[in-house]
Amino acid sequence: MTNYIIALFLGVAFGFSLNKAGLTRYSKIVNVFRFTDMAVLQFMMTALVVSMTGLYVLRGLGWITFPNVPATYIVGNLIGGLVFGMGMALTGF
Amino acid sequence: MNWFKTQISKDIWSPYVAGILLGITGVLAVWLSDSLLGASGAFENLAGMIGKAVAPAAFDIMYFNFIMPAGITWGVILLAGVFLGGVVGALSSKTFKLRVDGDEQWKRIFGPKTWKRWVIAFFGAIILEYGAGIAGGCTSGLAISGGMLLAPAAFLFIAAMFASGILTALLVYRNRY
Repeated sequence: MTNYIIALFLGVAFGFSLNKAGLTRYSKIVNVFRFTDMAVLQFMMTALVVSMTGLYVLRGLGWITFPNVPATYIVGNLIGGLVFGMGMALTGF
Repeated sequence: MNWFKTQISKDIWSPYVAGILLGITGVLAVWLSDSLLGASGAFENLAGMIGKAVAPAAFDIMYFNFIMPAGITWGVILLAGVFLGGVVGALSSKTFKLRVDGDEQWKRIFGPKTWKRWVIAFFGAIILEYGAGIAGGCTSGLAISGGMLLAPAAFLFIAAMFASGILTALLVYRNRY
């Protein structure tokens, strides 16, 4: 049960940060593909850097172990990414 | 306290600050509940739940039994939280508005009709979820959560996403690129 409450709060933080970055708008998402507004890349890469250092520091301290890493399955990831990018540029979601 | 309040009531933050917040959220997700953030998996759980209620024989396949269990999972609660978080964000900057048509850039390209936005949003979202199912995640579940763990899958996904996104934007915008 506490797991679900944690999920709710994490979700609220996730949605809040997405909204404040402005990524809930069509214009912000599509403009990264036109190279006019790099907010999507800046947001994603900052989140990656912060969470990567945090996770590897915590693992180095021995406080956590990593959950299952998403499987690397080259053809599937590439084709899925191609289809996904098409949908993302069309709808802006 | 006042500075805090003015920051929260701003409409758009610098993407770096919002990215820091998301990074901390990702670390907390792994630390506190040993799971990864992700959105597209939750939709597939919900679809499996609806499908099993409607046509149980057709949905009794391995995918919906083991890989994406049908029902209210951790991811579905996370998704509900994401929606609430967006509402909280919009309320805090007083930009909350129930809206049925696209924004101005959309209207410049596709015209002002609302039904066009809904049709393209519907079929585009089908494409999005289909691609996420093939790849094993969406931007948050695979690119960010997988990239956090330095999984090669995440970076392949990001590369392919940008390649086809740039191509699609070129095709849609043509000379207004």
